[in-house]
Formats: sequence, structure tokens, C-alpha cells
Amino acid sequence: MSDLLVIGAGLSGLMAAYTAVKAGLSVNVVAKGLGSMHWSAATIDVLGYSPAQPETAVKRPLEQIPALIKANPQHPYALLTNEHIAQALAAFVALSKDVGVPYGGAANPGDNLLLPSPAGAARPAYLAPKGQLAGDLSRSEPMLIVGFEGLRDFFPELIAENLNKLGYSARAAFLPLKLATNRRDFTNVQLAQGMDSKEQRALLGPALKKLLRPGERIGLPAILGIKAHATVLAELERETGAPVFEIPTLPPSVPGVRLYTALRSYLQNLGVNLTAGMEVIHASAVAPNGTPGSIQWVESATSSRPLKLLADKFLLATGGILGGGFNSEMNGRVWETIFDLPLTVPQNRADWFQVRFISPEGHPVFSGGVTVNKAFQPTAGEQPIYGNLWAAGNLLGHCDTIQERSMEGIAIATGVAAAQALSS
Amino acid sequence: MFTESWHSVGPTLDECIKCNICTSYCPVSAVTDLFPGPKYVGPQAQRFRENGQPQSPDHSVDYCSGCRVCNEVCPTGVKIAEINARARAQIVAEEGIPLRNRLLGRNETLGKVGSVAPALANFSLHNSFSRVMAEKVMGIAREAPLPHWSTTGTFGDWFKKTQSVRLKSDKKVVYYHGCATMYYEPFVGKAAVAVFEHNGYEVLVPPQNCCGLPLLSNGEFGAAEGYHQNNINKLLVYAQAGLDIVGTSTSCTLTLKEEAPELLDMHSENVHAITMATWDIFEWLRERHGLGELKTDFSEMNMVLPYHAPCQYRAHRIGKPARDILVLIPGIDLRESQARCCGIAGTYGYKKEKYQIAMDVGAELFNFVADQGEAVEMTACDSETCRWQLEHGTDLPSRHPIEILAAAYGLYDLDKRDLVNR
Ligand code: SF4
Ligand code: SF4
Repeated sequence: MSDLLVIGAGLSGLMAAYTAVKAGLSVNVVAKGLGSMHWSAATIDVLGYSPAQPETAVKRPLEQIPALIKANPQHPYALLTNEHIAQALAAFVALSKDVGVPYGGAANPGDNLLLPSPAGAARPAYLAPKGQLAGDLSRSEPMLIVGFEGLRDFFPELIAENLNKLGYSARAAFLPLKLATNRRDFTNVQLAQGMDSKEQRALLGPALKKLLRPGERIGLPAILGIKAHATVLAELERETGAPVFEIPTLPPSVPGVRLYTALRSYLQNLGVNLTAGMEVIHASAVAPNGTPGSIQWVESATSSRPLKLLADKFLLATGGILGGGFNSEMNGRVWETIFDLPLTVPQNRADWFQVRFISPEGHPVFSGGVTVNKAFQPTAGEQPIYGNLWAAGNLLGHCDTIQERSMEGIAIATGVAAAQALSS
Repeated sequence: MFTESWHSVGPTLDECIKCNICTSYCPVSAVTDLFPGPKYVGPQAQRFRENGQPQSPDHSVDYCSGCRVCNEVCPTGVKIAEINARARAQIVAEEGIPLRNRLLGRNETLGKVGSVAPALANFSLHNSFSRVMAEKVMGIAREAPLPHWSTTGTFGDWFKKTQSVRLKSDKKVVYYHGCATMYYEPFVGKAAVAVFEHNGYEVLVPPQNCCGLPLLSNGEFGAAEGYHQNNINKLLVYAQAGLDIVGTSTSCTLTLKEEAPELLDMHSENVHAITMATWDIFEWLRERHGLGELKTDFSEMNMVLPYHAPCQYRAHRIGKPARDILVLIPGIDLRESQARCCGIAGTYGYKKEKYQIAMDVGAELFNFVADQGEAVEMTACDSETCRWQLEHGTDLPSRHPIEILAAAYGLYDLDKRDLVNR
């Protein structure tokens, strides 16, 4: 029994848990598995592209939000003022320092960063972990992109060539794999864990220094340690005398793992129990005539009888079609898996996608979701459906977070706001 | 809406989105190149095991310890550990079972044989000569923490002997002790009986046999099915009478609930009745507490207690009930381990080729215990083999949480590991 049960352990769920526990509530978090943060680049994207101008990166996201809302009055950002959003982001930055994974933004406050993607594109992001900041393409130093021979899914030549095409000066180089690992088979997370040991990374600095030309900065795949990441980064910068930055890789993404791990253990110390491997499969609700219903408990699947999870209040942050909060059938039916909340997702498969795969308008199946009121309670018409249920994050409808590059901004802003609403 | 998860084992591999989160968290692939990790031996290799494929494509699946970290972290619900267990069974079916695994799979038989003359059996098993021989002949690692047979009689002996003083009550509970409590650690059963009775329950201990888990994890599915069927036959009347079947061994209760039915495809009504009647003891106590029925007349304990929830809780999917109860005891400074696995994984760490892997996996836990400082006098864990591994890796005694709880009720002496005579 707790004051609040958060369902979902992504960024919005954890930010909500943090906000609520700080407001004095007792909080538990359950999740089916570990999700979104592990496959994200771990940048905080607030608004990268506005639907009105889908080909041009947004320069100052918070200033663009009013126009976004005007064109789409039901957008989740429209439930908040710009001050709310800015405060939530500031709370995240402060928290990131407290948990030991500090974040920062562009040199000119309020601007988007432009960061090299693993394909060598210029990716707008509002905040990034410290280890990615020196990659900002608004800086002038030419880039030395270094990979490791035989490392899967990281191609320095591709990155450098594409960056050059975009007008940023970059060149590629390789180091032998044994400088990163002695293992025969590995994931990026295991490589990063290896870098935590001083012996493993001892040779890396001198080898990089040999490759370096004066004035360059160094881009590496994001494998520079997990627990010792700050030390690894500082050491490499000291030994090479050059700014060093990470380029996030394909999943599992080390910057995402770092953020998740740090947030989780910080929350654990605040008394929040986070249990993964618990799939909530049923909700028990009562709905007296004419009033909103009330969730009495939810149940998660176990090896035997379902486990009742009791709480006063429930916050749903299970993500949308990508995060697993929704499920679908071949015929196109899409439903929210726990409370069967009404969704704005098209229920006919033919309406899910645009004709073109890479379509500037985005695909309707990704912009559908749950509709909430200003207090972040799922609604049918005006009325909240349940008096003690709130929702936040990427399950919210009326926005295409992939197209807009607004996923983490919405996760943080709505997670914080929903937790504030339910704590007040 | 659904009342239970709609996935069964096989089709879940289609849910895999290849994110590799499982591989990033697998404690075995973290320490050895011999095991490529859950995604590869699980959902990927499984594609090539379908449809009567005669040879398993991937023998490295034998290095899966079954800890289920992968299941816990997988965002899409792939039952990776179960896929691996079935693959191992297929290899066993094709290639036969080494004598060692046959032996390690027969905990109950070993228990019975040793209990005839436990002191002699302990000597024959635990002197260094026989450990070297056991390693040479059978591949049982000489350093691995094998248990000692109880020299003061089995749990069953004690329970029979004390029948006249056992509590009689309208409230009854069935106790499933498992082999380890029966032959090696009868004191765990005594502590459990004391706690049940303290809370007003009469304890029934009907005939029962090994749950069959050691057989399942060594791939002997045929023999395991016989064991499970026997337990169904013996326990069904109690389940049908509405009694709870409560166990102190997290692995036995898991096997009765889900592991045996799921891996062996046993889905009859009777099998289901046992699934639904079975409880882990702390799950059961937590339920009582939720209903306001658990006695909390604890005495102050005054101890720093590192607690490691065993991997089987991950498969139970009931959170950490022992933690939820132990924190109620005044004076216990509970330090919860976040280590993934102690390494032993049932019989895994006893095998010569896996002993070092198990110790490397366990290092995370051993280091955690060491970090808790000088004040630590013992650790706690619900699973017997994990406790033996913890003691082996930390040189500190380890206790079942039920022993701690019984001690908090003033019924049990944690050093002597026996009931307090009153
Ligand atoms: S059960 Fe454990 S050892 Fe086996 S694949 Fe999964 S995480 Fe790895
Ligand atoms: S975590 Fe699950 S979905 Fe991801 S690769 Fe492993 S099995 Fe596949």
C-alpha cells in the first residue's frame, strides 16, 4: 500500500515518482520491463522540428511552443504554460546533477544543441549529458571521429562523410578493438563497463593522442564507462588535451543506461521501490452512478494468483505504441492495456500509416493516444474517467513525438505536472 | 480484460524487438565469453530449434544459469529463461545426461541416502580427498559450497517427535518443506512452524516429494514430470479443501506454482489447483499483514542485515515480500542488495566448468556485503543454495529470513539455529 503507484519506469514515470516523493507522498513504481531510456540517445529533446516547418530544425524550442499549440490546441504542451515546462526542465537538470549524470544545454541559453547522430546527421536536442556537449555542431573545432575495428553499429567514415556533406569538418579514424576490450563478443554496455576499469582504458588516451591533429576535438562511440564515466571523460581530455564527446550508439544505449541506473538508485534511496518484471494486467474499479469511477487496486501477473497492488492514487506512464502501453491486433484495433482508456489512435489498420515511409507529416498511429484534462486525468468528454487516475508521458495523444523530436520534453514536463497535480 | 498474462513460452519470441537490453543485464554474459547472452541463445537461436530440427544450433545455451534477469528487464515480455530451459532439455534428450547432472538433479535421493548415517556421509563428501575425486570423476567443483546433512535428524523426524506439543487450531496451513529443509536444514522448518503457530495456525505436513526443480534445470524433463505428478496426487486434497500450501524454499514454491506446469506443458485442472494454492512463506505472511492478521509483537533486534532477494523471486513476480516483512522489525537496519545474482543458480555453480563463472557473477553481491562494514554479522537470503554460496563468498553466516522473523518473535536462536526452549 502506498500513496501513489506509478506504472511504468520510463523518464516520465521516474520524474513523476521523484516529484511526488519530494512532495511527501509514499511512492512505488512497477514496470513490465526496462524500457525507453535504454534505447534512447539520452538527450532531452523538447522540440526539434515543428510540424509547420518539418524540414528545418527548431532553433529556440521554448519560443516555438506557442505557435505549435496554436496550430494544435490539444497538444500536451498546451496543458502547460511555458513557465511550467521551463521549471520542469530545470528540475530535471538539477536532479541530473544530484544523481551524478549532469546535463547541460547550448552555449547560448535557450538554443537547441545540434549533435552528430550515429549516421552523421545533425540532430537538434535541448539538453544533453555532459559527455555529449562537446559534439555541438555550432562549435568550430574540426572533429576526429574514432571507431574501433570490428565494433558493430558504429561507422566513423559514414559519420564523417555525412557531417562533411552538411558543411561540418570531420574525419574518421580507427583504433584496434583490443584498446576497447579483450572480449570476443560484447554489447556496448559491456564495453562501457569494461572502461570503468583503469587497466582497460589505460592505453586509450595515448592512442588517441597519436591520431589527433592540433585544434581537433574527438568523437567516440558512447562507451566511455558507466559508473566511472565522469572520470573516464576527464582523463581522456587531460591526456589528449582535446575536447572529447560521445556519439550515442544503437540500442542498448549507454547514455540511456547511465541515466536510468542513476535515477533508479537515487529514487531507491528516497524510499521508492521500483520493481521491474511486473506486468499490470487488470484494474479493479468502482463507478457509482453519475460520478467518476475510482480505481481500487490493480493486479500484476505472477507465477500464480495475480498480485493486488494497492494505492490511493495511480499514475499511468506506460508509453504508447512504442513503449508497450498500447497493444494492437492485425486488423488495426489498438487499446490501452490496463484501464482500456479511450484512444485517439485510428482503429483501422489502413489508417495507421501515410503512404510514404519517411513522411514529413508523420504517421497517425504514432500521434494517437490518451486524452487528459489540465490536471492530467484521462477524460471521456469533460469528466475524468477515474477520480484517482493520472497519466503522463508518451501515451498522451495529439502529438507525434518522433516527428517533433519532443519525446523527453513531453515525458519530463507532463510527468512533473501530473505528479504536482495529484500531490496538491 | 485479462486475468492472466496471455503469453505462453513459445510464441513470445516473436515479441523480441532485438533491443539487447537483456544481454546488457545478463550477469553470466557479463563475465564470460562462453555465453553470448540471452538474446542470442534465446529468441534468436530458437528460430532454428523449431519444427523438429534435430540438432540444437547452440550449445552455449547450457551456460545460461536461469537467473531470469533477462525476463525481468525485457520490455516486451519474451520468456527468455524458459526458452533456454527448453533448449537445454532438448540437448539432454539428444545427447543424454552426464552422471554428475543426474546426481545433482536428485537432491531428494541424495538427502535420503545421506540421512541414514549423516556424520559418515558428511565426512565422505566433505573431506578434501573425495572433493578432488568428485571433481575428477564427475566434474563437481571441489571448492563449491556443498551442503551438510543434518546430524540431529531430519525435519520430518522432529515434526513427528513433537506432535503432542504442536498447536491445534481451526486455522490450518500446509507446509511444503522441500528437500533442503528435510535433510540439510531442518532448523528452517522449525522456525517456519514456530512462526505459523505464533500466528495461530496449525501446521499440516502431509507426505510430499521433491518438487523436481533440480531435474528441470538439468534438462531431465521426463523424470521431473513424474515428481510433479506425485506432488499433485499428494497435495490435491488440501488444495481442494481450500488450504494454502506454503513453502520456505523459493525455488520449490516456484516449481509448484509455475515452473513445472509451464516447462512440462502440464495444464490440467488439478495442476492449476496446486498452482493457485501455493505460496512463498513471506508472500503468505505479507498477505496476512495486509489483512491486519500478522502479529507484530517483535522484540528489538539491533543488527545491520544485508539482504539478498534470490533470483526465484524474480520468477515469482511478487516483488520482495521478505524485505517487506523484515522492515517491520524494529532495530533491523536492512541493507537491500541490488546485485543481480549470487552466481550459484541452483546446481549451476557446483559444476567444475561453471564454478569460476558463478564466483565472478557473485562478486557483485560479495562486494556489496563487504561494503556494508564491520557491524555485519550475518546476511539473509530466502534460498538455500544462495545462502550456501553467500557464506562461501563472504565468510559470514547466512540465514533464511524466516529464521530472523522467528528470532524477532523471541522463538529462535540465530546462533544455535534452534528454537528457544520455553
Ligand atoms: S536467465 Fe540469467 S543467465 Fe540465463 S540468459 Fe537470462 S540473464 Fe542470462
Ligand atoms: S530484452 Fe527482450 S526484446 Fe530486447 S533483445 Fe532481449 S528478448 Fe529481445
